[in-house]
Amino acid sequence: MSLYPLRLRALPNGEALAVNDSGSFFTLSPAALERFERDTLNPQDEGYLTQHGHSLDENSSFDRMSHAYCVAERLDQVGTLDYLILVPTLRCNLRCSYCQVSRADIDQHKYDWSPDTLAAVLDCIDAIQGDHIKIEFQGGEPSLRPDLIQAVIERCERFAHRQFVVCTNLQCIDDGILTLFDRPDCFISTSLDGDTTRHAIHRTQSEGKTRQFFDNLRYVVERYGPGKVSALPTIDASDPPPPESLIDAYREFGLDSIFLRPINYQGFARKRHKHSREQSHAWRRYYRRFVETLIERNWSDRDQVLEESYLSICLRRIFWPGNERHVDLRNPNPMGMDYIVVDHDGTVYPTDEARMLARSGIIDLAIGDIVSGWDSERRETLNRHATNQFDPTCQHCAYQPFCGRDLIDDLARYGRIDVPRTETEFCRRHLHLFDFIFELIYSDDPAVRYSLTRWLRLPETPVSFGTMLE
Amino acid sequence: MIPLRLSAFAEADRPFVVRLGSPSGQRCGDAVLVEAEGNSATYASKAGLFTIDGVAASGLAGDVLLIQPREQRAERLIRATSPHNTLLVTERCDQLCVMCSQPPKKTHVDRFALFEEACMLAPENMLIGITGGEPTLYRHQLFDLIERIYRTRPDLSFHVLTNAQHFENDDIDRMLGPAYARVSWGIPLYASQSALHDEIVGKRGAFSQLLENFAILMRAGARIELRTVLLRGNYPALPELAHFVASRLRCIEAWSIMQLEHSGFARRRWASLAVNPRLDFAPLREAMDWSFLHQMPVQLFNIPRCALPEDYRRFAVASISDWKQKFLSACDGCRERDLCCGFFEWHPDQDECAKVTPL
Ligand code: SF4
Ligand code: SF4
Repeated sequence: MSLYPLRLRALPNGEALAVNDSGSFFTLSPAALERFERDTLNPQDEGYLTQHGHSLDENSSFDRMSHAYCVAERLDQVGTLDYLILVPTLRCNLRCSYCQVSRADIDQHKYDWSPDTLAAVLDCIDAIQGDHIKIEFQGGEPSLRPDLIQAVIERCERFAHRQFVVCTNLQCIDDGILTLFDRPDCFISTSLDGDTTRHAIHRTQSEGKTRQFFDNLRYVVERYGPGKVSALPTIDASDPPPPESLIDAYREFGLDSIFLRPINYQGFARKRHKHSREQSHAWRRYYRRFVETLIERNWSDRDQVLEESYLSICLRRIFWPGNERHVDLRNPNPMGMDYIVVDHDGTVYPTDEARMLARSGIIDLAIGDIVSGWDSERRETLNRHATNQFDPTCQHCAYQPFCGRDLIDDLARYGRIDVPRTETEFCRRHLHLFDFIFELIYSDDPAVRYSLTRWLRLPETPVSFGTMLE
Repeated sequence: MIPLRLSAFAEADRPFVVRLGSPSGQRCGDAVLVEAEGNSATYASKAGLFTIDGVAASGLAGDVLLIQPREQRAERLIRATSPHNTLLVTERCDQLCVMCSQPPKKTHVDRFALFEEACMLAPENMLIGITGGEPTLYRHQLFDLIERIYRTRPDLSFHVLTNAQHFENDDIDRMLGPAYARVSWGIPLYASQSALHDEIVGKRGAFSQLLENFAILMRAGARIELRTVLLRGNYPALPELAHFVASRLRCIEAWSIMQLEHSGFARRRWASLAVNPRLDFAPLREAMDWSFLHQMPVQLFNIPRCALPEDYRRFAVASISDWKQKFLSACDGCRERDLCCGFFEWHPDQDECAKVTPL
């Protein structure tokens, strides 16, 4: 029988994972693998392959159409602009050691939007088609300019679906910012590195400021409930907190989603944390231990289900083709189309990382500015390479349908985008992550299966999360 | 049970379609109520006077009727207040399903022109069901109907129940037209094994024809609702069907899994055909879990809520049309009655499936 291409990845126990272009997957026992290699498939194999859309009968338009549909469904549809990341000010009232944007001091005034920039941002909002908008306010510390945030939010009343996220260090909450937080369409995103000692090391640095932050976090969680607030830790990979204590810190505030990121090496961080250029094996071991601890926690205490955000994004991508919209991981991943970043001076960047690269003088990836537009030659050049589909390494990788492409990360680390995939940090990170996820998918540990069930929002634990050809 | 056929006496001698006006809702062209007495009402219309017996005039306001003077009968084609209106375009069919609830007949009466008139008079934004027999045995007339109505009444939408055996490549261009964005096709698939599906529908080659026609519908961007009736024969194979659907029919809008209706062929074959998910939920659960894992939109029809474990109840739809729905006396105190499909009017109360456990 003829088959659509399957990409294999060897598993530690002599089995193999097989994935087709649409991301449909199964594992092969060593015996089944041998039948594949010798081309001696038995009727059960053939039945399985036909049922699951791997076989191709040239005369069957159904074989061709259903396969084409699934492959198309895998590709992310990038629509028109409806997501803005805005930096109304670069000023900040903290001085975190890993600050990614080379922040400006609180009393330096040329680092806020000018009236012209504000006007152009509002024009940009007016030009958005559709009834959906998401805006993230980044900084600096955006809460230093509640007036600018408010002007933007007020301009969005016409959208039926709108969401605003204020990314704030919660160092100072006054009436101005609380009025904004009170809106049901406004959400708070903050940083929480762990318990008070941890949080103080790189961020608040003084006991007073630390206490202030924790009091404020408690205040907003109590006032609005944990659904309103999300928090991210930034982890120093050379000295990570014990997973238990980090989880406890999040649980204490009822926060159930933890996006475990190692320090990003751009900006000031690059100068101060030289070793963070590549994620080390130690980091990956830590990451794994962290997720395993989460799984144990979820199992032993069913009251709350915690997740590591990026793992969940990847996991859902495997099972939900085309249904999640995550600009963090997608393929193709064109820049400057459905979302843009507008900096404090009106410059438009394709991503927040690109903004930081420019600030720290590594490479200027600005694609335009908010006044004169960003439909530029530069953007086009970037977007010629925005897919992993034709990368010679990815083409052979079992994880290609689930994985993505991050041009900015490559440029940040290597100054070029044609480094062999497997030598990039992006690839190593995702290979490791998908290996780990497939280990979980095929685990028969009830605790693992319970967490997967909850992360995938299923009513009950299924008999299996993946099939195997014996 | 709400009667869909009423006795009628009319001056006219040929069948005609008319919308019944009422003192509070009279539109141009509507029949005018001239006399009402108990369950009998007399109307004046362009086709002359007619009298309807069996339902009070107030219950008929806005309904679209087909009056057949010779048969002394009126068919309520479109009931203004009901979300469940279906037009039966033919009683012929090329399949002979073991459990058919409306066994096919050999003869065909062409009523497309009358149905077209009826649709034109339907309330705004109504979803109208088209059923048979097999409607696509007359698919060109069906396409004409859909397109003509779209031109004057783009607010209406259609749900066509079809075995999908009769589409052809030539239909693709036509079905790419804007009228078909308002049409969804309810298509039965009983198993992913061709022999089993063919046996259930009583037609050899039906399965492979169906798959090829799915390809046509996919190319036409057609909206598909897949339908699977649970039977003794296909129930154990339901999880495999779920695998098939999740890997090969990802284009569908919905997958409706439904319990058998106690009528037609199924009435006398009940003992050998019916399954009761209340007593054996495992295959259904496995199929649903796999579908949810892969984000396939499963919904359950004709399964009372109390037959399902709590976590699965929200997928059960109150699917039984108002005019043929009933509840049992035991249902009286049930908290979920309003959400529940209940039973078909003709379902025997002593049947195993009717042993309810009020929630
Ligand atoms: S980047 Fe690496 S992990 Fe991702 S698809 Fe390409 S080769 Fe695979
Ligand atoms: S008791 Fe009756 S109304 Fe309640 S769930 Fe069961 S069948 Fe439905």
